Amino acid sequence: MAKTHMLRRWRRAAIVGLAAAAVVLSGCSIQISSQPDPSIGDDTMLINADKGNPFFTRNFNPYLTNTRTASRWIYEPLILVNPLDNTLNPWLAESWSQPDARTVVMTIRDDVEWSDGEQLTPEDVAFTFQLLKENPSLDIKGAWQHLESVETSGDDVIMHLQGDDAPSLSILGLTMIVPEHIWSDVKDPGTFRNEEPVGTGPFVLGNYNDQQYSMDKNPDYWQADKIQIEHIILPATNTQLDTVTRGYDWSYSFISDVEGTWGAASEHNTWWFPPGGVIALLPNLEVAPFDDVNVRRGIALALNRDEIAETASEGYMQPAGQTGLILPNQEEYLDPSIPDGGMITQDREAALAAFAESGYTLDGDRLVGQDGEQLEFALTTANGYSDWTRAAQTVQRQLADVGVKVTLKLPQPAGYQSAISNGDFEMAIGGMGGGDPYQAYNNLLSSEFYVPSGEQTANNFERYRSDEADALLAEYRETIDPARQTEIVHELQGIVYDELPVIGMYYGGIWGLFNDAKFTGWPSAEDPYMIPQNYDSAPLLIFTKLERVKGDDK
Amino acid sequence: MKYVLQKLGLFVLTLWAAVTLNFFLPRMMPGSPADAAIAKLSQNGPVSDATRRAIEAQLGVPTGSLWDQYVAYLGQVVRLDFGVSYTFYPQSVSSMVSTALPYTIGLVGIVTVLAFAIGTLIGVTAAWRRGTWLDTLPTLTGSFLSTFPYFWTALLLLFFLGYVLHWFPTTGAYAATTTPGFTGDFLADLLRHAVLPALTILLTSLGGWIIGMRNAMINTLGEDYVTFAEANGLRGRTIALRYAARNAILPNLTGFGLTLGGVVGGSILVEQVFQYPGIGYLLFNAVIGQDYPLMQALFLMITVSVLIANFLVDILYGALDPRTRR
Repeated sequence: MAKTHMLRRWRRAAIVGLAAAAVVLSGCSIQISSQPDPSIGDDTMLINADKGNPFFTRNFNPYLTNTRTASRWIYEPLILVNPLDNTLNPWLAESWSQPDARTVVMTIRDDVEWSDGEQLTPEDVAFTFQLLKENPSLDIKGAWQHLESVETSGDDVIMHLQGDDAPSLSILGLTMIVPEHIWSDVKDPGTFRNEEPVGTGPFVLGNYNDQQYSMDKNPDYWQADKIQIEHIILPATNTQLDTVTRGYDWSYSFISDVEGTWGAASEHNTWWFPPGGVIALLPNLEVAPFDDVNVRRGIALALNRDEIAETASEGYMQPAGQTGLILPNQEEYLDPSIPDGGMITQDREAALAAFAESGYTLDGDRLVGQDGEQLEFALTTANGYSDWTRAAQTVQRQLADVGVKVTLKLPQPAGYQSAISNGDFEMAIGGMGGGDPYQAYNNLLSSEFYVPSGEQTANNFERYRSDEADALLAEYRETIDPARQTEIVHELQGIVYDELPVIGMYYGGIWGLFNDAKFTGWPSAEDPYMIPQNYDSAPLLIFTKLERVKGDDK
Repeated sequence: MKYVLQKLGLFVLTLWAAVTLNFFLPRMMPGSPADAAIAKLSQNGPVSDATRRAIEAQLGVPTGSLWDQYVAYLGQVVRLDFGVSYTFYPQSVSSMVSTALPYTIGLVGIVTVLAFAIGTLIGVTAAWRRGTWLDTLPTLTGSFLSTFPYFWTALLLLFFLGYVLHWFPTTGAYAATTTPGFTGDFLADLLRHAVLPALTILLTSLGGWIIGMRNAMINTLGEDYVTFAEANGLRGRTIALRYAARNAILPNLTGFGLTLGGVVGGSILVEQVFQYPGIGYLLFNAVIGQDYPLMQALFLMITVSVLIANFLVDILYGALDPRTRR
């Protein structure tokens, strides 16, 4: 009796187990397809631009970090910059000029209305800058690090700078303009949630709830004839599975095997992944032996960038050169005298020769210094940044081939940020470059950001100092002659190439995913008119370029 | 009375320890809230010096010595004022908590009560019908399902019932197109969205209640008073429910009290998998964002509710079983 009972039990357990195994195995071959919400019309765009975890807070103050993404489509900047190639598109400023290196004059459009029917005036612009001056916590683009004062004259807004500061134009142009007739009554703009936003942008706020909000076309928009999107829907939650299955018209996400997932979900799905920055090794220049340029060169020569780029970005991104520039976007800034576009290729012999100049020689499979100790260091990257982690592991393996021992440190993102800001690292992985080359080199090299390890800095995490670089950066600020500016950018590249304050590895990607079933005209490699990101101000330009696919064409 | 006072003293002491730990633990994490915000931003490209300064100004870096901060914090706790959330700046912590709490209580609370009720009933039946299929089937499946990790069950359900079969919505608490309010449509939608996370919690917790109840019940069924009742010719159902189950339920009731205390914390994994806007998911995001004020309020809320549940169970036990009072 007991025996049959036991047997019966085992048979049952086995059946349940088998059924579960079958369920799991069948999962491996199931193809997920996109299931768009049928209630979303042909004139409506579904975007995964805004993520509110676990629910949205109603915050449309465009200067707060936790603002709703769409607030930056309700408020517009003076100039819309394409960070890919640094093109400046006139926006609320119809044109601008720099009579000298310490003055910027912006001419404001006279045909722009706020969404409540009031006219946009140069006084609104001046008011906005004043608001940012009085509330430094709102000055997220840092306008008042450059400005002395702002005044209006007719249609012009005249900005007086603190000193010769020609490159500040693009930073000042990024400032989003808010209406004086509403914001002048706000008591504390630093905590103002602006629940009923009134802006100049192409859309006004539609329905709002904790899980989703919608935007409706602003019929009185100054470029209303170019906007063919009637509504935009932004849900609060979007996972990677959602991105593929929910039928988004526009997504922004790094996605594994984009062809087999996003591409396979719909025949209308396309993507464009242009490079948006350089992912580099940041040596702490105050820590031996990274204070020695030969050691840095040895490390740079020991790396196989093709392999790092392939492993880290699943082959979507190209290896990056040693100039800090992003190619091909910034090709025009490249110094032609730098060999091979600045690309350093793996060369084991040359790497060992560079190490040898500082007394490191190969002893068996260990690279040892004069004291007999192996060259070893800890490489810090942020936990959860999977591409950086894969890059770090590849670097670890490649350096082991020249006898250098690398250990990995993976603090949480906040811990990582604090480590690089405070110089609490030996070598770290970090991003640099992008946008205006001057800004990129200034952030990377300027000793203005230099503090010793142990103190906090916002840029120049590797703690580089050079009179030559500082002099070049200062000269650039005083120069409004584009030819001289180009020369200076060439010289700065030379410094990065020769001194290796950071070691470039591969490009960081911009992950634009599009569906052209309802709207076409997306930015692409053939027509890179704007960075394909669906947050910040970039969509303002993209919205004007998109055309509806009318019912019949489908 | 002495028993109650003793327990009360212990309660206050534990509460103080929890409040204190609650203050120091987040501060031992490396990096500041501003670092967390900047790290998040810098994934989308380098963050300028100006942006960093503005973020620090917005969030306000904690000032004063650790001791001063601690004293200020104790004052806040007493006033139940938890300030402004960092990750949801400039929203107040209390408004975040009050938005998330109903979802968690509604989902995790109801499912926990259901799981307890259903599991206990099945356990009673299983013990009463020992050896039959009514015993083996629920006991085996229950224990089998409860060995699955929470999130794994959640992912399986999400994948098959959500993405492959499209039977149930996969994320959120209600469809984005529904307007929240006390309408039939909204409530129906709310229920549809709760099915998958509820099923996950139910499936993984049912086994524990079944087995706990079944084993306790089998013990009591062997007691003399049950045999005596049988000999008296009482009806089977009366014996099972009024004689055996009534005594056997005590350990399960303890477990139930503690689980109820934990409900307030929600279920972080389940809520995260289904992006369910409850306390668990909120807590996850607070930790990721190094949101001290929100974290402190949530941890405190969870600790206090577990402590209260513990305290109540102690008192209840004291009342039900006089032996514990000695």
